[in-house]
Amino acid sequence: MGWFSSSTKEDVSAPTRENRKRCWETRDAYFACLDSAGVVKAGEEGKACVPEKKLYEENCAKSWIDYFNQRRVIAEAQKDRLARASEQAQAAKK
Amino acid sequence: MIQAFTPTAAVVFVLAGVGLYYYFRQEKARLAEEREKERGLKSYGRPNIGGPFSLITHDGKAFTSENILGKWSMIYFGFTNCPDICPAELDKMTAVLDDMQKQHGDIFLPVFISVDPARDTPSQMSEYLKDFHPSFIGLAGGYAETKAVCKAYRVYFSTPPNADPKGDYLVDHSIFIYLMDPSGKFVDAFGQNVGQEEVEFKINEAIANWQKETGKKV
Repeated sequence: MGWFSSSTKEDVSAPTRENRKRCWETRDAYFACLDSAGVVKAGEEGKACVPEKKLYEENCAKSWIDYFNQRRVIAEAQKDRLARASEQAQAAKK
Repeated sequence: MIQAFTPTAAVVFVLAGVGLYYYFRQEKARLAEEREKERGLKSYGRPNIGGPFSLITHDGKAFTSENILGKWSMIYFGFTNCPDICPAELDKMTAVLDDMQKQHGDIFLPVFISVDPARDTPSQMSEYLKDFHPSFIGLAGGYAETKAVCKAYRVYFSTPPNADPKGDYLVDHSIFIYLMDPSGKFVDAFGQNVGQEEVEFKINEAIANWQKETGKKV
């Protein structure tokens, strides 16, 4: 699981720019796959994104994965709320 | 018998009254004017942010609040295992520093204070900061020292005192870059939504004000 277990030196496990970049890229690829499968909440996609998920889990720490997945759900809910708010605003103008 | 009310006494009384009235009116106007002047020069209602702290740098040296004096310091609180916000903010600070140093010279001190005392050892900090501006000072301490510095800067952080140094967890914390003047006083705090250009504008403004008051940039 990511650089935490593969780190050779015991003391230093600080994620580097390179680590972060790889993690974000695999996350984006996995989320793109979820998008095309029409799934918001990670884990509900069934067998749809297995290779993407594997790469994502290999390149990001578990705490990061939990955080990104949660944020994806929150961002979707926010999009919904904003869309509804602007609909209501439009309706109110009429 | 002493006559209390004479025409002379009446005149003295009225004159004294009128005199006092004009005196107080003039004093009031003078004080108001002084206050106005002071307000123009100094930033008023400056929040009481900052204060004494004692931590260890990323190369293992002692570092206290005294060490931020004499430079414009930019202080950011975060942790090395931060998924995306901290590195983005540190990149922003790096870009700001590149510009500001070109314009003003070496009068800035960027400081990264860890809110994750269990995991952010000096070597961890030193490794992490290699990706950002070379003038960064990384600071960390024990839980009590971390809590004290966060309290002084009104920073919230969620690390529990008994966090596992090998654990895989995130730290929730407030996201601000604090600008402190060369006397160590708080000038401004920039949130995540304040972009590079706005930060630079505010820093330039602060330096110009400082220069107007002291004749120097630091």
